[in-house]
Amino acid sequence: MTTKLDRRVFLTAAVLTGATAVGSLDPAEAFAAPKFDVEPGAPDPNFVEGRIGTITGTMLFVTGSDGVFNRVRVTGATSVWKLTPTSFEKVAVGDGLYARGVRMADGVLAAESLWVNIVNIEAHISSIGRNVLHLEHHGSKIVAHVVPGTTATVYNGTPAISDMSLLKVGGHVKVIGAWIPDTNEIQIATVYAGV
Amino acid sequence: MVAVRGEMSWFCCGNAWGPCGSTGHGACGTCNSGSRQHAWPAASQACLDITRPDLCGIGLTRRSCGFRHRTTNLCNGAAVTTSIADCGPRTRSFCGERSCCGANCASNRLIDLTPSAYSVIASLSTGLRPVSVDVG
Repeated sequence: MTTKLDRRVFLTAAVLTGATAVGSLDPAEAFAAPKFDVEPGAPDPNFVEGRIGTITGTMLFVTGSDGVFNRVRVTGATSVWKLTPTSFEKVAVGDGLYARGVRMADGVLAAESLWVNIVNIEAHISSIGRNVLHLEHHGSKIVAHVVPGTTATVYNGTPAISDMSLLKVGGHVKVIGAWIPDTNEIQIATVYAGV
Repeated sequence: MVAVRGEMSWFCCGNAWGPCGSTGHGACGTCNSGSRQHAWPAASQACLDITRPDLCGIGLTRRSCGFRHRTTNLCNGAAVTTSIADCGPRTRSFCGERSCCGANCASNRLIDLTPSAYSVIASLSTGLRPVSVDVG
């Protein structure tokens, strides 16, 4: 992938600069370690994290948890997830999000994907109620709601099913879900559990 | 290059909203959800004592903060290179767990990427994916 990208950048640059001939590369340069689009460990300019402060048309004004302000443009091609794959109309002020896209020259992130309120929690089940799991996560208690018709359970890598009867109190689970900003509880998309 | 197959997931770290708000900057003190980083079960001896991949039959070389791994999603061939910023996942809690994409399968939790890194090679809504990690 890196090789293709480098080649595309290289050829694009050649076109933009009006080059008519391409000289040979120095062998050491040709076989040097591949360059990264983003240096490992570094902040990713094509990724945004934070909470939505304002929505104007298709522009989201997002304040990052580190205080950095970002503008995120949603297009017709943007995929939106909020508990399930959904549409932009479901996105609301106050929601948390992760967005991946392409950073434009004016600083706006043109979003390819939005994951709204998504959480990925590793926890122990402290109790099980009717359509609810009580989880313990890093010493905090989280109320996780089952959404009938949506919530699925994956037992040890088997295909997802709606039956949650094999979950046990004390069991270790991973939960993909959607955070509810008003209550600080979550709705469960998928529970991954060993049996 | 030596590669190990296993499962990848993602985790949040650093300043964050919702349940992630209490996670902190990880064992290395540098972890942020928006950076290309990962958690590694063999980030130190103290980390290995917690994660215990050996109990699932996986022997991993100990690597410290900042070491780079290249992770390839076996579902689509996409890859990303990240650096160690935290200890995890807790491999022993999910021994034998298996993820597949068609015939491409991998067992046991091997690596957790930050949302920034994970979303380069898979949708965050997938949660778990089989991967190959270059550990050479």
